[in-house]
Amino acid sequence: MNTDPARILVWDWAVRLVHWLMVVLVPLLWWTAEEGFMDWHRSLGLTMFGLVLFRLIWGLIGTWTARFAPMVRRIGSLKSYVGKLRNREYSASFGHSPLAVFGVFALLLALVTQIGTGLFSVDVDGLESGPLSVLVSFDTGRQLAEVHEFNFNLLAALIGLHITAIAAYHFVLRANLVGPMITGRRSRVDFAATALPENRMRFFPMIGAAVLSLACVIVLLNFG
Amino acid sequence: MKRRKIQMIVPVLAGLTLLSACGDTGETDTASETANVELANGMTVKAQIEARQAQLKNIGKAFKAISDQLKADSPDVAIIQAATAVVPKEAAGMVDWFPAGTGPESGVETDALPIIWKETADFNEKVAAMQEAAAKLDATAQGGDVAAIATAFKTTGGTCKSCHDKYRLDD
Repeated sequence: MNTDPARILVWDWAVRLVHWLMVVLVPLLWWTAEEGFMDWHRSLGLTMFGLVLFRLIWGLIGTWTARFAPMVRRIGSLKSYVGKLRNREYSASFGHSPLAVFGVFALLLALVTQIGTGLFSVDVDGLESGPLSVLVSFDTGRQLAEVHEFNFNLLAALIGLHITAIAAYHFVLRANLVGPMITGRRSRVDFAATALPENRMRFFPMIGAAVLSLACVIVLLNFG
Repeated sequence: MKRRKIQMIVPVLAGLTLLSACGDTGETDTASETANVELANGMTVKAQIEARQAQLKNIGKAFKAISDQLKADSPDVAIIQAATAVVPKEAAGMVDWFPAGTGPESGVETDALPIIWKETADFNEKVAAMQEAAAKLDATAQGGDVAAIATAFKTTGGTCKSCHDKYRLDD
């Protein structure tokens, strides 16, 4: 690991791993659904369920940049941040920018909706269904499948917006946001603040979040 | 600042409207001329299409009931038997549900593809294969062997799919 003191940890490895696994899973989930490989779709969907659940728990007990509470507090400086952006003035945020916080919450909400509806979805023939569909009627399962299909468009639109924003930061503001999402690190001098919050990865919360998520996946797997 | 907010809201709303417009393909607009034409069997085109959709939906419901039980740790065979009995009954006479003129050209909302009326012999063959599999599934279900039921169910589902892949609009 890079321990150069000039480069500090922004995104811990759990955040990065979850992020890039989602990047792989979303297209695969779309493709398996399109092609009707529903066994794979269910397995990958359950994997996604575990990842999102982990990320939500990590948003409560994870590193500072992963936690939701500091993100919410940051919304207060949205006006001044956007004002500066309009003048092409960019100063790096430690973690999510006030604007990006909305993106994070929107993406997570879309993912939660997608997984929540997928668990109960039933296909038009009554042959394929999500692991919790036994709890709902055929009609309810069909309606949730419709929401599942519609919400995917919203999710795809949000992903498009996310990638567009990353590209805009890269080409307009000359800020490389992809690098830190890969290495986790960014130059200390990029941040104007003299003191940054402690962002150390802690072992026990990480294990706790992972075990809890995995346990929920296993419960779903054996449901019925 | 207020103006700026509104500037952002307008494209978002426009986008959402567009998206929701994709969802409904207005049933009211095309109460076309042929929808109320009477078929040889005495039904109108619209009534025929709606009747077959209702029957196919009942089969879907029965399949879900079977699938729900097969997923359970200890499947309730009585529920499976009740559902498997529904399928051959609901599927009886299926080839007659698709008289000429009851395709999408009628203006009535239907996922039935025009190719049904071009390759009728193949279509009818596939329907017969499904009916045969459904009858076998029901017979197997009365035997009560869950593993055998699961296999027969898979076979029946396969016959549905092979027909739907070719003759039904992909949703």
